[in-house]
Amino acid sequence: MDRRGFLKSTLIASTAALAGSEAQADETQIPEEMVGVLVDTTRCIGCRACEVACGEQNGLLVPDVLNDGALESHRDTSDKQFMVVNKYETDKGNVFVKKQCMHCYQAGCAAACPTEAMHKNSQGPVTWDGDKCIGCRYCMISCPFDIPKFEYGEWNPKIVKCTLCFDRLEAGKKPACVEACPTDTLMFGSMVKNLEVARHRIYSHPDKYVHQIYGEHEAGGTAYIYLSAVPFDQLGFRTDLGRTPYPEYTREFLYAVPAVLFSVPAFLLGLNALTGNGKSDNEGDRDFDYSDDGEEQ
Amino acid sequence: MDSFTYINIFETKGLEYLLLLSFWVLFIYLVRYLSTSDKKRKH
Amino acid sequence: MNSNTAVAGGSGNTFQFLLQELKPRGPWLTPFNVISIPIILAGLVILVIRFIYGLGSVTNLSQEFPWGLWLGFDVVTGVALAGGAYVITFVVYVLRVEKYYPIVRVTVLNGLLAYMFYGGALLFELGRPWHAANPFIGNSFGFSSVLFLICWHFMIYMVAAFVEFSPVIAEWLHWEKTRKFLKSLTLGAVILGVTLSMLHQSGLGAFFLMAKPKVHPLWWSDFLPILFFVSSIYAGLAMIIFEGTISHRVFKDLIGPEHHHSFEDIMLGLAKGAAITMFVYYVFKALLFIHGKQWSLINDGWGYWYLLEVIGFVLVPAFMFAFGFRNRSLNTIRIASVLALLGIILNRLNVSIITFKWYETVHYYPTWQEIVVTLMVIFSEIWFFRWVVTRMPVLNARH
Repeated sequence: MDRRGFLKSTLIASTAALAGSEAQADETQIPEEMVGVLVDTTRCIGCRACEVACGEQNGLLVPDVLNDGALESHRDTSDKQFMVVNKYETDKGNVFVKKQCMHCYQAGCAAACPTEAMHKNSQGPVTWDGDKCIGCRYCMISCPFDIPKFEYGEWNPKIVKCTLCFDRLEAGKKPACVEACPTDTLMFGSMVKNLEVARHRIYSHPDKYVHQIYGEHEAGGTAYIYLSAVPFDQLGFRTDLGRTPYPEYTREFLYAVPAVLFSVPAFLLGLNALTGNGKSDNEGDRDFDYSDDGEEQ
Repeated sequence: MDSFTYINIFETKGLEYLLLLSFWVLFIYLVRYLSTSDKKRKH
Repeated sequence: MNSNTAVAGGSGNTFQFLLQELKPRGPWLTPFNVISIPIILAGLVILVIRFIYGLGSVTNLSQEFPWGLWLGFDVVTGVALAGGAYVITFVVYVLRVEKYYPIVRVTVLNGLLAYMFYGGALLFELGRPWHAANPFIGNSFGFSSVLFLICWHFMIYMVAAFVEFSPVIAEWLHWEKTRKFLKSLTLGAVILGVTLSMLHQSGLGAFFLMAKPKVHPLWWSDFLPILFFVSSIYAGLAMIIFEGTISHRVFKDLIGPEHHHSFEDIMLGLAKGAAITMFVYYVFKALLFIHGKQWSLINDGWGYWYLLEVIGFVLVPAFMFAFGFRNRSLNTIRIASVLALLGIILNRLNVSIITFKWYETVHYYPTWQEIVVTLMVIFSEIWFFRWVVTRMPVLNARH
């Protein structure tokens, strides 16, 4: 298997060009070793232990779960929190949904980054490198899920987003939120296997779940996938993102760039040569000797 | 599930070609309109 | 203007000549100075605050709206308005249409300054500008990024535009041999500049390709790069007409008498070019409208806003340009150029700010600080422009 070249690749867009269409057509092309998390929202009790664990693990805000009443409003991730749990009132009762970076298989933020500060790692997590980042915030524009957050109040701001606990993964551990979950809502593992488990759950309990796995196709597939008992648009998910991996949108443009860079100058030179023939009306030193023929004739 | 509906992604092609034709009619007219002034000035 | 009698002989003389040229000339208390100096000073103070307390202290940027006026106007719009330089150099040097020669220098200067100042404005827009060299050095090449491409193109284009303009500087310094050498580079620089302009003008449109779910569907299209490129052509032409009208009045004394005659012909020719380009652009918009079956979107506020932009600020000025050309009416052409420029500003701001996340209840609007800094950029560019044209042979090419 030629995974190595693929994983090492510095060019997300060009890998999209090489492997994109396969990946789109058949998600089993996703490498075995890429990890992700399956979130089964039917199991979540809204205890927010994951939020606490995340805050502690990453040195961010550790919420006072018992007293802060945060479930009363729909929160977004912020420059203080990698993840939040929100409560949605649906016709099947309250549903709690964890929100964080989806770690797209083909990440728009990573393709957008002009310095590769945003990087899709071979194991799956999308991480941010402060030594490279120039703070352009193009990742925020390009992320279909609006996940990267920016510290507007800092003189040396950082981009803040979930790293899928990359450091813990390196040490062979699970992400902090998964480990903290008391109800098995979160399941960590290979993306491919997670998808199989999710399909199996829908197949075994066809009345319990809606027959859709959010993240299977959205934005070309994500490492975080969700199961739900109610349609996903009732849970604050965007269902209009399409199946196209986001780097694909700029692929054709970037592909055209080298083509333009060699063909257009040649064309312009030819045009200049054509119009120049038989015209030697450059009067002396009128500064109009755009090419050498003005002086030689 | 919803009943089957056939999505024709080429549905608008007829209108597009119509626009193309009217573009050329108008464009030729515009270019002629803009070139007569050139002649008027020269004579 | 060529009264600089301090002709440079040795390098010491050149230095003295430069010192002398650096001194301000003319009256100080002009209306423009009175307005621009306080704004520039205020802008500098705001920038100091911005670099100490962060972007949030002076801007309304938020997690939902990461790009605001500084990027949407200074960079995305400013670069479109600087498109005149590549259009005119293409016409004069590649197609050899000598008629437009008298405006080449001033247009190239305008383009160069626009990139310097508006591209430079990107530096205080960036959150971590001290890393701004990263896309150019080290192992941080984000080849997959449109922004990476634009950064490089800005840099190379600035060099190309500077080479195009450099014979004027050599002429100003009376370096005759250098001028001849630099002049021989012009065609190469022009061809490079035109190619790069095609790519980064369209690249500014490609910026928003990945923002598909966030930009209103009437403005988002797969063809954004091509739309941005085509509209930058007439944006540049309209800007030359607009700017030419002003500098023709303000710097009347600097313009050689022979150019007064050609001025009207040049303006008429530009109007003709703008009319045709705008008509093509309009039909392009119509084609995308039909292809996207977007008539369902037209009957609400955003739809009317779209119609206003596309008809009121593209089709109407296109016909005004055509009418003004046919009737040799410079006033019609001037009004048309203002409308066309407003249309470009509207279009770029619509894509980058106004219709961005149109579904959000709380929308971004710029703070007064953002507006002051934007004005600071514009005014300081005009200051620099004025300094150059009153000293170098820009408006009066040698003859």
